[in-house]
Amino acid sequence: MKNLLTTVAAVVVLSVCTVSAQTDETPRAWDGNPDLNGIWQAIGTAHWNLEPHPPGPGHPDLGAIGATPPGLGVVVDGSIPYRPEALQQKQDNFTNRMTNDPEAKCFMPGVPRATYLPYPFQIIQGDKKIQVVYGFAEASRTVHMDKDNPEPPPIDSWMGRSHGRWDGDTLVVDVQGFTGEAWFDRAGNFASAALRVEERYTPMGRNAIMYEATLTDDSVFTRPWTIRMPLYRRLEDNARVIEFKCVEYSEDLLYGHLRRVPTR
Amino acid sequence: MTITLPRVTSVLPVIAALLVAMPATSTNAVAAEAEYHHVHITSFAPAVSVRWYTEHLDCQPIADRNDAADCHGVEVTFVPQATQGGTQGTGVNHISFSYPDLTAKMEELESVGSRGSGVRLQRFEGGEMVREAPGLFKYGFIFDPWGTRIELVEDSDYLGFHHIHLSSTDPDATLAWYQSVFGGERDSLRGRLDGLRYGDVWLLAMEHEEGIPATTEGRAIDHIGFVVADLGNAANEMQNAGAEFQQEPTVPENARTSAQRAFIYGPDNVRLAVVESGFAGVDSTFAAENTADSTPYDPAQTPWGEPDLQGVWTGNAAHGIPLERPLDLADVENLTAEEAAARREGGTLGSIWGYEREWRDTTLGYDKNAPSTQVAMIVDPPNGRLPERTPEGLQMAEEAGRAAALYTENRSAGPEDLTPYVRCITRGLPGLMMPSIYNNGLQIVQGPGFVAIQKEMIHETRVIPTEERAPLDANLKTYLGDPHGHWEGNTLVVETKNFNGRTNYRGSSADMKLTERFTRTADNRLDYQFTVDDPKVWTQPWTGVFTFNLDNEQYDVVEYACHEGNYGMTNILSGARALDKERAEGSR
Repeated sequence: MKNLLTTVAAVVVLSVCTVSAQTDETPRAWDGNPDLNGIWQAIGTAHWNLEPHPPGPGHPDLGAIGATPPGLGVVVDGSIPYRPEALQQKQDNFTNRMTNDPEAKCFMPGVPRATYLPYPFQIIQGDKKIQVVYGFAEASRTVHMDKDNPEPPPIDSWMGRSHGRWDGDTLVVDVQGFTGEAWFDRAGNFASAALRVEERYTPMGRNAIMYEATLTDDSVFTRPWTIRMPLYRRLEDNARVIEFKCVEYSEDLLYGHLRRVPTR
Repeated sequence: MTITLPRVTSVLPVIAALLVAMPATSTNAVAAEAEYHHVHITSFAPAVSVRWYTEHLDCQPIADRNDAADCHGVEVTFVPQATQGGTQGTGVNHISFSYPDLTAKMEELESVGSRGSGVRLQRFEGGEMVREAPGLFKYGFIFDPWGTRIELVEDSDYLGFHHIHLSSTDPDATLAWYQSVFGGERDSLRGRLDGLRYGDVWLLAMEHEEGIPATTEGRAIDHIGFVVADLGNAANEMQNAGAEFQQEPTVPENARTSAQRAFIYGPDNVRLAVVESGFAGVDSTFAAENTADSTPYDPAQTPWGEPDLQGVWTGNAAHGIPLERPLDLADVENLTAEEAAARREGGTLGSIWGYEREWRDTTLGYDKNAPSTQVAMIVDPPNGRLPERTPEGLQMAEEAGRAAALYTENRSAGPEDLTPYVRCITRGLPGLMMPSIYNNGLQIVQGPGFVAIQKEMIHETRVIPTEERAPLDANLKTYLGDPHGHWEGNTLVVETKNFNGRTNYRGSSADMKLTERFTRTADNRLDYQFTVDDPKVWTQPWTGVFTFNLDNEQYDVVEYACHEGNYGMTNILSGARALDKERAEGSR
């Protein structure tokens, strides 16, 4: 019996060692750049509100489940530099969020919101392009790594047009060509179609990436501003981005008033 | 009246030769002695175009010509080539036909159009099909399936092919130019519209609305043509009259006769052909289908050593291949190129006949690949037909039929009554892989151990693992199931189960096991094979095949924000509620 216990202890120690060794090293892709392949997820309350926020009530039918949990915020320097009229729009968005938030409607989340929604996403990093597949609204996007002179976005889109390059060990992605209809969070933070996002994905060892996004939109903000948060690798053996086709859960919100027996 | 070309001047009717790429129209001034009009219209499937003009505009087929119709003395010829848009915006805005009873004709066309035969009406703002121009006649507009705008008028003085409408920055100068080069008689239509008359055919010119007209070359009406008796002499005279040749007189390659043809550019960027009497068109053949080389192909490898399937592919060439072999094609190995083009055109017309031509062209029209000549997708069973259904499969099909009838009766009580495709949820599997009429892109991005297959239509991305992983719990069922991939040589094999059964393909059930095989058989060719094994529904598995073609250069997969822009759903439901109301009030 004593022998058996010793063996078990040894195994435990061994696997801890393995994990810590992995944590220290940034995995490398075939070309020597960091290998970002994997399933990642943000943890925190950025999807509720990018700015520092106290707790707040949600839909009364949901009790505490619907409440907004408090959060420290992810905006570098604390707050978003809105122009005065845009701040009013943001407040209107918040007031009407139950019906107007594109997330409630199962609309594609846009960038950067897709990154920190409370769902995993998968990076498939190839030799020409990087595909990012998100766990909400079937959103995905292609980061074109193979265009030396990126052309202007062919059309406006919810997820924008993404062109990427490596800056040392940081993947830098320039995203533009938005519809201007996406929000950043459940607090109603937003930008216009003029939004330009520069994302920076910097590996922090094997199992985390520091994610930064600098948002520029002169029509809404007085200056560019940046959000920053870590993304964590999902370590479960069976981790995956499970299909979540949310359209059907938005239909009552969108079309309930058009039912034969109206529900809204 | 200055007659630069005496011979042409003496000719009464102008020959209109409409050379249309989608359709290109060209008016050919007839040679002196002949009352010979012809219009060349180019379309993807000339035989289909001939039938369309015969059925809907009362033209007659021309003996020994499968590419031309006689439209009341004007020959309309169809040339197979891709179009770059309709006639509007060019210097030839439309052509016109005259009927004794326009209202009846438009009603006839309206009833045809509603059956999806490629007759598109251009209604006026108030929704009416016919208007009356005071002092002139009644008129209305339609489009042919290739983007040619056609005005229909009720002018009892001139029935049949009525006029060619030039859109000009300087109508007077334009008419003067045509007269100096091709002759024709200055005349006034009912004393109200100035034009040139060539026999019974009018050439009218009106102010172009915006800027400078776009070139007709490559558009639905590529050019209009005039016929002369001797092109050699005529060419000199035309040159003296100020015409510049884009192409000197020559006997075109593959011409059916030894008559010569030349091209010149008229005012307003209108391309004009001048042909000699006896010109009978050019034999055009379709580009051969992109077929697999018989030598084994060894695809490139990704840097991490897997076959490289990456790129933007489209199923455009496969569009129109039916799943099952038509019974009357039981012994046919392959369609001819022309039959294949006609099949796709027919399928196109059946599904989006009402769409703007320019819009449609951005989908199928720009495709570089000739339509597939494959007769059917199913290769097993060998007869190309779905196998027998099981008793349960038959019962499921019956229930589905009843549900469909009930839906028609119930008129969408809510969104759940509509299909997952209409609701922008999914086309299901293997449905989402099938060629669609538009947004037919398929982008593959690979990373070590994973293949991402992004389908443009609706927007769905499948992430296929190529290394073994534990299956999902049997209770965790989804629309697109649980895929497991592996490489067999150069072939990506994907096996999928755990379907939730809320979509079906030809009546498949949640028990379906789908096996797909992706094999790159040439740089630009990805063969796709799918096997449906669903013993609940069919007595044996069945297999279909078709091919995707690489299109990295010109195709860009765009974001198909289906649910985000699903105005169709709102309109369907609000329409159904309006009908409910009428029904309740007894008016319906």
